[in-house]
Order: sequence, then structure tokens, then C-alpha cells
Amino acid sequence: METSILNRLDRTAAAYADKVMFKDDSAEITFGDFDRLTKSVGTFLAKKIPAGAPVAVMSGRHVLTPACFLGAVRAGCFYAPMDGDMPKARLNQIIGVIKADFMLVDRAHLETARSLDFAGEIIVFEDIRDTEPDEALLARRAATLVCTSPLYVIFTSGSTGVPKGVITSHQSLMCYIDAVGKVLSIDEHDILGNQSPLDYIAAVRDIYFPVSFGASTYIIPKNEFAVPTALFETLNREKITALCWSVAGVELPAKLGAFDVDKPAYLKKLCFSGSVMPCRYLKIWQQHLPDVLYVNQYGPTEATASCTYYVVPGQVDDDTVLPIGKPYDNYRVFLLNEDNTATPAGQTGEICVTGPVLALGYYGNPEQTAKSFMQNPLNPDYRELIYKTGDLGSLDENGVLHFHGRKDRQIKHLGHRIELGEIEETAKKVDGVTDCCAIYLKEKATLTLFYTGQATSKEIVLYFRQNMPAFMVPRKLVCLDALPTLPNGKTDMQALNNYLKR
Amino acid sequence: MDELMQILEELRPDVDFASETALITDGVLDSFDIVALVGELNDAFDIEIKPNNLVPENFNSAEAMMALIEELQDE
Repeated sequence: METSILNRLDRTAAAYADKVMFKDDSAEITFGDFDRLTKSVGTFLAKKIPAGAPVAVMSGRHVLTPACFLGAVRAGCFYAPMDGDMPKARLNQIIGVIKADFMLVDRAHLETARSLDFAGEIIVFEDIRDTEPDEALLARRAATLVCTSPLYVIFTSGSTGVPKGVITSHQSLMCYIDAVGKVLSIDEHDILGNQSPLDYIAAVRDIYFPVSFGASTYIIPKNEFAVPTALFETLNREKITALCWSVAGVELPAKLGAFDVDKPAYLKKLCFSGSVMPCRYLKIWQQHLPDVLYVNQYGPTEATASCTYYVVPGQVDDDTVLPIGKPYDNYRVFLLNEDNTATPAGQTGEICVTGPVLALGYYGNPEQTAKSFMQNPLNPDYRELIYKTGDLGSLDENGVLHFHGRKDRQIKHLGHRIELGEIEETAKKVDGVTDCCAIYLKEKATLTLFYTGQATSKEIVLYFRQNMPAFMVPRKLVCLDALPTLPNGKTDMQALNNYLKR
Repeated sequence: MDELMQILEELRPDVDFASETALITDGVLDSFDIVALVGELNDAFDIEIKPNNLVPENFNSAEAMMALIEELQDE
């Protein structure tokens, strides 16, 4: 049994030494060179940092970033990726949670790193990339890892206004990668087109399919997603065979009419996740690419990005609602009622998941961890932690899971998971905002903030732009004299919803 | 031009559209801004922006967008 992801990197680096592993619009790196880079970074870090410590990594959208991640792992550490394009206030929040003593950055992000509230040491990748690898030291560090050691901490929206750092182990990641790799039959002939930001959970396939199976990944420049013809041109030039994209990313070319001009001719498999797929856009993909394998994936970061998958069996219609399907290998998925009893087949309950894919918890937050990862209430006999997703679902007569929305106020917008409570906590920090309520209109994919107070909508948007990731900025702001209330004094969200639908 | 500036200002009040000349090339506007913008421009100016029009040269500045709108209105 493998003890860490390093077992896989050692194997693929030896088997595919001269093959391209990662490529972007200006550089490419082979498995052999990648492996050597991770050893240089790992050697440098191992001489400074104890094994098992977090390393914050802030690096751009290029081939060297995965080498920074795996370099930290070579040192027996785990990484916490940060997107340098995010506002400083957000990055400072992440730094406050992870409390790393070391931050590894590429030179392009050095200035940003220095401007943050970071008390530890900043290490520039370009300065240490030529460190002579110390194989004996690296072997000692690799031996400190067990399969349940943390591999990375990835941050997601928290309803209290502070992001939560989800800790994923080597074992969880490998279980998921093997399961999804099997469904998509990924091998060394596949070339992936990476869409997700590299610091985000959805990028783990683009990073670890090469590490695990010898596939290659092309990191698509971000601005090509605004230019659909360039996007398809790139997919064809790079002979991309597999895409693991957010639903929002899959919608884009269909919405912007890219198929009227061209189509990705080499594509064989498309896995989409992150939110419910509007089938009128999937239909356009299917019409132009009928032989591609389409897979709908469902699941939270807390269960290593996933739970279940559904292979789309045939051509969809505009109003088809895709099931979320069956559990991946090594995932056990079941439903619970509000009173923690088992939900009978056909009825709606909360989707729960267990197995070796469960996250190790939220970094530095034992209370939230204990609340979210709990003993299986159906099992009085031995310790079995489960994660309650907060999503509602039902099982049909064939054991296929169907999705029925959220229990709480968490939404999926532009492929990202957002707590509406966090939007409101942020808006309340703006001078001149007295009260507010965030409403998400799924049909139009718009995030609206209703508020009371003297602030202008421009002031509020500017505050969000300076403090929050772009996907969390409300698109529409409505100033009211007072928020509508229910008899119990709570905000009447249904009334606000109706206001938007008018 | 005033109508265009108003749409842009509402879409992204944090961007100075009067002076920016590399909105796409520098990544000031992302893909989701473009999707929202294309929909609004089509409605407001009664035009149909085609995928072939979606190149950086046509969206890098407010002036370039205005030129594209006028070109499409003439068709």
C-alpha cells in the first residue's frame, strides 16, 4: 500500500522521464525535470522546516506551481495554496488561519507576499530551484509520511465571515484520484486542459492525474475563457483529450456560441462539477461532440471534492435534470432524516458520506470540525465518522441518487461554493450599510444584495472588490428603506426572491 | 457612448473604463464579466455579438467596444 503521493511521483518520474508533464502558454516541463525540481525545493525546505509543518504557497498560473506544492511534500510538509490575485484582506484571513512559518512564492508574487500581514519567512522559488537534491535527507522526510498525513489545506467560504481550511490527507486524495481516474479511464495518453485556478480544489485532478497515471496537463491561460474561439483553438492545438471543468466553465463556450465556429476535435471525456448543469448547454456540447463521455460529478471539498458520479447515458433535452448518480469507489453515501434516522428509498434526506475520503477536518478549528464530522448516528458499535453535506437528495429504485438543493444558505455560483451569510457579514462592514440580505437567483445565476442605509451601491461593490474574491462580489444591489420581515422578525427571503423574479 | 459607459460602470464600478486599454489582455475583465457584458450589449444596442467578435481587440477598451457596436449596428 502506498504511504504517500510521493510513491506515485517516484514511479511516474521514472517511467515517463522525458514526457511532458505540465505545459502552459510559455513553458513546458517533463516528468524528469519536474521531479528534480520538487527534490530541490524539498531539500531546501527540509533544511529549514520540521516535517509535518504547513507551507503557504503563492504562485501563478504556470507549470512551476505544482512543483512548489510537491516540493513542500518532499520536505515531509503539507501545502496551503493561495491565489495571489485575491484581495489582500482575503489572503490575510487565510494567513491568520494557517499560521505558517514559511511562505513559498514565485518572484512575480514577492511584492504581494511582502505586503501581507505575514510574520514568517518568505522564500522565492527562483532563488532555491537549483538547490542540490539531498537524497538521504529527502528519504528521511518521505519516511515521516503515513497515508493519513495531511497533503494540502484548501480554503472555502465560511458562514461566519472567516474562510475554512479543509485538510485533505494523501490517502483521501489517492482514493479519489483512483476512483475518478477509473470512471474517466485516464492513462498516460491523456492530455488534460486545466481550467480551475491551481489553488482551488477542482485543480487536484489536473495536478494528480499526471502524478498518478503519467497523463499531461495543459494550463489554459485565464483570459482565453473570455475569448471562446481562442479557447477551442488551444484545445485543438494542444490535442486536449480530457476536461475536468466547473459547470460554469462548460457553459461558457456554449453560451458564447463557440461551437458555431469550431469544436474541440480531440476531446474524449468531459467531467463537470461544482453546480447543477443546465442541460440546454450540455445539449449543445452533445450535438457537436456526440461521442464524448460526459460525467456529472457531485460532492463537497470535505469528501475530497466528490461523492457520486453519473455517466450521462444519451442525448439530453433542454429541461433534463441529471441525477448525481452512484458513489465512487471508496465512498459510502447514504441519507439521513432531520432526526438522524435512515431515510427510506424514494424519500428526501440529507446526503451523508463516509470512507477514507473524509477530510481531516477544518484547520485550527476543532469546534467546527466536531460539528461537521460526527459519529454515524446509525452506528452504535464502533467509531465511524461521517460528513453531513447539508445537501438534500433521494435514492430512486435503481439506487441512483438525485439532488434536491441545500438545507441551508450555501450556494454554488460560478463554480464556487459561497455562504450567503459570509456575503452579508462582509457587506455589514461597509460604512453606511445598516442591514442587508443576500439572495441568489439560480435561474439567472445572479447574486443580489438587498440593503438598507446611506451607502451607495458603488461604495459597496468597491469594498467587495478590495476584500473578497471576484466570484463573491454581488452583481446587483438594491437599496431598500427596510428589509421585509416575517411575523417572527426574521427577514422575509421569499419576498425578496419574488421581488427579483418580477 | 454614454449608454455604454453606464453599462460598464454598473458591471464593474471598480474599473476606470475611460483610461483602460487592455481590459482583456491584462485580465481586468474575466470570462464571467464578458458573458454578462455580451448579453447586456446585445439587448441595449439591438445587436448580435458573434463568437468571432469576441477577440481582445474588440473588448480591450470602451472605445473598441463602441466601434464594434457601431459596426454591428450597420450590418
